[in-house]
Amino acid sequence: MHEIGVREVVQFAGFTFNWETLVMTWITMAIVLLIAVLATRNLQMVPQGWQNVVEAIVVWLHEQIDATMGKNGRFLAPFVVSLFMFLLVSNWLGLIPKMASPTNDLNTTLGLALLVIVMVHGLGLYMKGGHYIAHFFQPTPVFVIINAIEEVAKPITLAFRLFGNILAGEILIIILLQLMPIWMPIPSVIWLAFSIFIGGVQAFIFTMLSMAYLANAVKSEEEG
Amino acid sequence: MIELNGTFIAQIINFLILVVLLRAFAYKPVVNMLKARQDKIQESLDKADADAAEADKLLAQYKAKLAAATAKAEEIQKNAEKRAAEFREAEEQKVKADIEQMKKSAQADIERDRAKAVEKLRTEMVALSMAAAGKIIAKNMDSADNEALIAEFVDKLDKDKIGDLPC
Repeated sequence: MHEIGVREVVQFAGFTFNWETLVMTWITMAIVLLIAVLATRNLQMVPQGWQNVVEAIVVWLHEQIDATMGKNGRFLAPFVVSLFMFLLVSNWLGLIPKMASPTNDLNTTLGLALLVIVMVHGLGLYMKGGHYIAHFFQPTPVFVIINAIEEVAKPITLAFRLFGNILAGEILIIILLQLMPIWMPIPSVIWLAFSIFIGGVQAFIFTMLSMAYLANAVKSEEEG
Repeated sequence: MIELNGTFIAQIINFLILVVLLRAFAYKPVVNMLKARQDKIQESLDKADADAAEADKLLAQYKAKLAAATAKAEEIQKNAEKRAAEFREAEEQKVKADIEQMKKSAQADIERDRAKAVEKLRTEMVALSMAAAGKIIAKNMDSADNEALIAEFVDKLDKDKIGDLPC
């Protein structure tokens, strides 16, 4: 049972790393890759079993992207699906005893959120050029202040929402296990079930908001 | 608890690696498979359309051929009927002519026989009348009445009827 808020750190090349977060991230990556490879190996022209599910997910994702970003947003599909799977596995990994979610570390969530926001602005500038900068000054130049606050708020809210939810869930699991006698598992079980739900919802929210931000940058003007 | 350090960079790099790997090992194959299936379905549909068009064309061709064949058969039948009718007509004509010919020759025969018979009878009648005349002359040679009688008798022999008998 690790202590809450105290992280094992390692020093490497002048940087400090949270060792547990890194290990859990690698485990998460391995699980995600394993699931993905298992689900997509032995693909056949006539789909059977899991292939149907995987294809349905990909097709649904493409439809979502087409609806929100237009056709030229398709290249973001692997990013979005990776994001969702990584967050889902991350969130649920912490519910296993002795494990921790990579997403209970602000480094992870803020890293992902900043990556998304950098992509949003980068793609916006790349795809729309001057128009993208101009839209911060609309409808009047004064709005640039509000828009700037909004743009800064986006990654912070993304990161802290996920971080707070997951960390709170894990803390409460530890606390419940310490508070309750071993013959009274009901509160723990209820909270665990709720945490599973929360993990899914938070992964979904993070992914959907990222898609919405990206859509804003990628979709062309005439598609409105 | 919320301090940021090198993990921040590491996590971004980790995630980007994950994206690249997932794209290569899971996403691409699925998309390629979807695309391949779409292409195959499209191809099948196109092929089906082409086949249907081809079948329609063949059907039209066969129908046209059948119609032509039917028309030809009808023509042949008509020709045959016409020829048969002509042949029958000719045959009838020929038979009629033959019958006519036969009738004519028979009539001629009859006519000849009758003429012969008349000639023969006349000869016999002359002989008979000569004999009768002889007998009369022997009895009454001078009577002029008897001569007239004989002449009248001989004259009557020229008619179709000999005495009261029909020829």
